[in-house]
Amino acid sequence: MLRFSKHEITINEIIKNMNIPDRSEYLKGLAQTGQKIMGVLPALYPRELLWAFDIHAAEIWDPPGEILHANAHLQTTICPVVKKSLEFILKEPQTINAGYLFPHTCDSLQNLGTQVKDLIGVSLPIYTFYNPKGRFNNTTIKYYQDILINFQSILEASHGPLEPEKLKAACVLSHKIDTYLMVIQQARMTDHLSLSNHEYFTLMRAQEYLLPQDYLSLLEQVNILEKPAEFSRARLMVSGILPPLPEILVFLDELGVSIVADDLLAVSRRIPKFAMDPPGSPLDYLTDRFFVLPPCSTRGGDLDERVHYLSNRLKESKAHGLLFDMVKFCEPELFDHRLLVKTFRERKTPVLTLETELEDHISGQDKTRIEAFTERLFEIVST
Amino acid sequence: MSIRAELKYKIMKDYGAPVLMAFQNVRRRKPRPTPAAFGSPLDSNQRLKEILSRHYFLSRYAPGVKKVAWVTSGAPVELLRAFDFYTIYPENHSALVGAKKQGADYCGIAEGDGFSQDLCSYARIDLGHMLSGKTPAGKLPKPDLLFCSNNICQTVLYWYKAIAHELDIPLIHFDAPFVTTEQTEADINYMAQQLQDMIPILERVSGRVFYLNIFEEILERSMETSKTWGAILDAMKAQPAPMTIFDAFGHLAPIVSLRGLPVAQDYYHILMDEINTRVTQGIGAISDERYRLIWDNIAIWYKVRFLATFFAERKMNFVTATYTNAWAETTGYLDVKDPWRSMAKTYGQIILNNNLKHRLDLMKGMIKTYAVDGMVMHSTRSCKPYSVGQFDLRKAITADLDLPAVILDADIADERVWSEQQIQTRLEAFCETLEGSKYG
Ligand code: SF4
Ligand code: SF4
Repeated sequence: MLRFSKHEITINEIIKNMNIPDRSEYLKGLAQTGQKIMGVLPALYPRELLWAFDIHAAEIWDPPGEILHANAHLQTTICPVVKKSLEFILKEPQTINAGYLFPHTCDSLQNLGTQVKDLIGVSLPIYTFYNPKGRFNNTTIKYYQDILINFQSILEASHGPLEPEKLKAACVLSHKIDTYLMVIQQARMTDHLSLSNHEYFTLMRAQEYLLPQDYLSLLEQVNILEKPAEFSRARLMVSGILPPLPEILVFLDELGVSIVADDLLAVSRRIPKFAMDPPGSPLDYLTDRFFVLPPCSTRGGDLDERVHYLSNRLKESKAHGLLFDMVKFCEPELFDHRLLVKTFRERKTPVLTLETELEDHISGQDKTRIEAFTERLFEIVST
Repeated sequence: MSIRAELKYKIMKDYGAPVLMAFQNVRRRKPRPTPAAFGSPLDSNQRLKEILSRHYFLSRYAPGVKKVAWVTSGAPVELLRAFDFYTIYPENHSALVGAKKQGADYCGIAEGDGFSQDLCSYARIDLGHMLSGKTPAGKLPKPDLLFCSNNICQTVLYWYKAIAHELDIPLIHFDAPFVTTEQTEADINYMAQQLQDMIPILERVSGRVFYLNIFEEILERSMETSKTWGAILDAMKAQPAPMTIFDAFGHLAPIVSLRGLPVAQDYYHILMDEINTRVTQGIGAISDERYRLIWDNIAIWYKVRFLATFFAERKMNFVTATYTNAWAETTGYLDVKDPWRSMAKTYGQIILNNNLKHRLDLMKGMIKTYAVDGMVMHSTRSCKPYSVGQFDLRKAITADLDLPAVILDADIADERVWSEQQIQTRLEAFCETLEGSKYG
């Protein structure tokens, strides 16, 4: 059962208390059992297809450790997600044994995929998955189905024929996970969840590495309060790629600020906007799921739609302010950022932008800015 | 379409533009002296300037007569030509701003309005132009339509989305799946279908009907023009090479921004004739060509002259570039009998939309066929699809072909990124290695 943490306990203790296994220990353990594990880069991919081939998708977003060897392959102006991922891949970790998957997310990841495959070379196979861009229509839907079929054939070439029942089961599992996540998100927005910022995002991010069944069991244990908790804290919505650094999350908790909603690529933007029907035909289900994800810069989605989506989320969650946690050099987000900031400032929503290189610690300057921003949020709380 | 606007456009086209050109010619009578390291400049330069000035000049009179479209360099513009859009290429315009060393100024305007300094400088310059109306071309018309393809980068989609939102105009996006190994039938069908889906939207925006035969004619012309451009680049195999790649960066403008129009087709015939004459007569672009180089990535627009002179003085000539080749490489796929699918193949496989193995093989091939002695790679802060992978490309090429190479960290159009001392040091070291490797 998840419990509300006391602020004085450390980040590792939080994870321990929540019974969420440590990422690398967990994956090591899995690999030792002979589980096929594929390293998957950000962000969108048909996880159900991998599961149907008994391949576990271990996502690589921000592996810990210094960037050393990747610097010999990438320019200084490339985002830290790409750099850290490459650093991880170059180590050829034992936990990844079934290859790497590069979904088509942005120019940098697009090139990194071919760079690793065609120039650097690793001992494991490299897979790619194209996500259509721009506005979607019937032509896009048809193409997305073709991509799924093609990806299935590619996996079949290395992992044997797909068992349709397994794909169906994977879709059912995926649907259950989505349903829980939507409920939890909703609970978070309406104060029916007693989790600190760090606990909440640890829970959300555990899906990046836990087996789907394990993740589902974890979600099943989440305690949704019957009545909303008393709430005197300031409420914040966060937008960007990844949740803020753990240190920032804990700091916000200490300041009495709760992140009640998010528009993060690693979190909410991968959860359908609304509840989907239980899967019928897997192909249709996977296709529909892709097209009902929230608007996202990396899919080249419409700006108005994104503004609209964020406004609704802000309203629903009653957030007092908006935090943009921008990954340095992330073009897709940086382009949208200017309009989003302008729009919400005009609407008098307090907005703070932080820039991160995914370092381990929060700078003194950022701490001061967060404190000043928090004061503004509390002014709204008290009015 | 207003009769007054149409009349004005016609007068400007038939009389205004020629007068302007004549005036510019008088002003240009005293050309800048050519440094001794160079041979005589190409006569075609004059014609090129006229064409481009005329294009920008006439664009002011287009509104009300033709619909104006802003288009990305890799977009299948032939389709727009079938609806008689007046096309403006913001990338081209940004390069022009960069070449005039005004990039930082325009970027600053965009940055002041909230766009990050970490974005592509072509985009920032264009957004700076959009926000301020500033342009070295006098005045540019506001677009009625935006047309982009992510076959060069995803950046253009984000950038054009921002303009579409700001100006509240339609954006047509041609989604070109990245080629990780080879194009699949599904990729080709998807792109072919998208092109056909665009027709009703283009009819609506332009107010014109689509005629297949007109489109085929345009396609034919575009194909022929690209082939001529390819032949011009091929002629650079001659020793000495009849022009430098820095010349080619300039002569590239019509194939990028006037592709499919008779003016571009005619222009490349003129250039081809001049180049052929030079080759026959053994006239080189630089006075004494001892070393032949390849350039990778987009030009450093604000330093073209500096770099051209630096290398020419050391008897080094750039004879080929991945950049200039991009508008000739895949046009062989175009086929008027199968327009949609052939366009999907042509536009889907261009260098920046193709995997790095393809790029490596292409570069190695160019190095061999153009008898290249050394390689200069511009690692540009602006362009991720061109720059990510360059370090390993360099490693693979130098290892396989034993070729001296240098990487310059700079930017295409934001001159603030240029570090003269660091670049000078790198270039000197590269030249020493090159001289040593060939004659040492
Ligand atoms: S952070 Fe942005 S630039 Fe980096 S990999 Fe993610 S989407 Fe791409
Ligand atoms: S320079 Fe690169 S990123 Fe910028 S528009 Fe051109 S291709 Fe795109």
